[in-house]
Amino acid sequence: MDIKEQLKKILVEELNLEDLTPEEITDDMALFGEGLGLDSLDAVELVVLVQKHFGVEIKDMEEGRPALQTVATLAAFIEKKRQG
Amino acid sequence: MSRTEPEQIAPAKTSWHSRSVGSRLQHGIFYLLIHLGGRRAAYFLLYFVIAYYALLRPDLRRKGEPYLRRRFPEASSGALFRHGCRLLLDFGKVLVDRAVVGILGPERMAVRLHGREDLLGLLAEGKGLILIGAHVGCWQAAMSALGFLSTPVSLLMQREDGDIDRHYFEHAGRECPYRIIDPRGFLGGSLEMLDVLKRGEVLSVMGDRLLGSDKNAVTVDFLGDPVRLPFSAYKLAATTGAPIAVLFSAKTGPASYELELAKVIRVPAVVGRSGAAFAPYVAEFAAALEKFTREHPCQFFNFFDMWQYDRTK
Repeated sequence: MDIKEQLKKILVEELNLEDLTPEEITDDMALFGEGLGLDSLDAVELVVLVQKHFGVEIKDMEEGRPALQTVATLAAFIEKKRQG
Repeated sequence: MSRTEPEQIAPAKTSWHSRSVGSRLQHGIFYLLIHLGGRRAAYFLLYFVIAYYALLRPDLRRKGEPYLRRRFPEASSGALFRHGCRLLLDFGKVLVDRAVVGILGPERMAVRLHGREDLLGLLAEGKGLILIGAHVGCWQAAMSALGFLSTPVSLLMQREDGDIDRHYFEHAGRECPYRIIDPRGFLGGSLEMLDVLKRGEVLSVMGDRLLGSDKNAVTVDFLGDPVRLPFSAYKLAATTGAPIAVLFSAKTGPASYELELAKVIRVPAVVGRSGAAFAPYVAEFAAALEKFTREHPCQFFNFFDMWQYDRTK
């Protein structure tokens, strides 16, 4: 399973997004606000989940802001961090 | 997509604001009096100002009534009037005290802390520390007593346009001793708050007013009726394992305050996005605040109707 698919599964299952399946989440769907509709409290949980599942830390807002736009941007961030 | 939402409740019709009462000139006169005659001189003028507001500005005096009617349910209208005046006076004194600390120095105000060792113990757990306060006493004077923590403190604080009141450090032209996190920032400042706790530092928030969306509030009882209080800090605690210390300050004398660790709240990891899961912990805070209002009835400064929200939606 690639990173994007893993992220979609995590979003649905661990953020309890009811009535949504991973397949319904597109790569360029906005995570916050319009799109997936996550909010600021979900952001906290998402940062912790990314660290837990991928071993990647979103250190601060400078990293967080561009990374947390869409599934695609978050996946790209994770991949880049893993490559070190 | 749909999201499981807690009971949909519309935001309160009468929302609070932090904008100051009084003009810049009026505030400046008080600051000048403090420079020239200290706290006593400012208090002297304050009595006249409060008399003006009490007698000629009933709209302002009545802002405290939703609280006072619940705190003193048996009070006659005369008694309510006196409590309202006392509430305004005590609030005015707190504002003067804040300015005194800023203009003349924190040594002008004695702050006694109860719970010092407990706070150090909580911080030593290494998961950061969330301080939850309320609009009681003078939190700014109280915060000046937390230097012993030797750890940076970040405040979640929203300042409104037109807010004339100066924070105590602004009087002396000093830099803010705390890091301010603006809840209107990216994702409500949540990443910054998380950062603070990950570094093992201290995050200070207010637990008795909602900043931002009503979706981040849960309904709990306070003084016998339901109110909406924010649960974000409890969510942060659940996610990070950081303990919550409920801290209240109370004015105990003309130049003295006490800062008390009223309660320690531990929030376990909670499954689900619904705020309802955090209601029991927010209720612990509400109970602690209610106890404070029993002990210091005229030092609770939410001058708006916390209990007014649309229950029909």
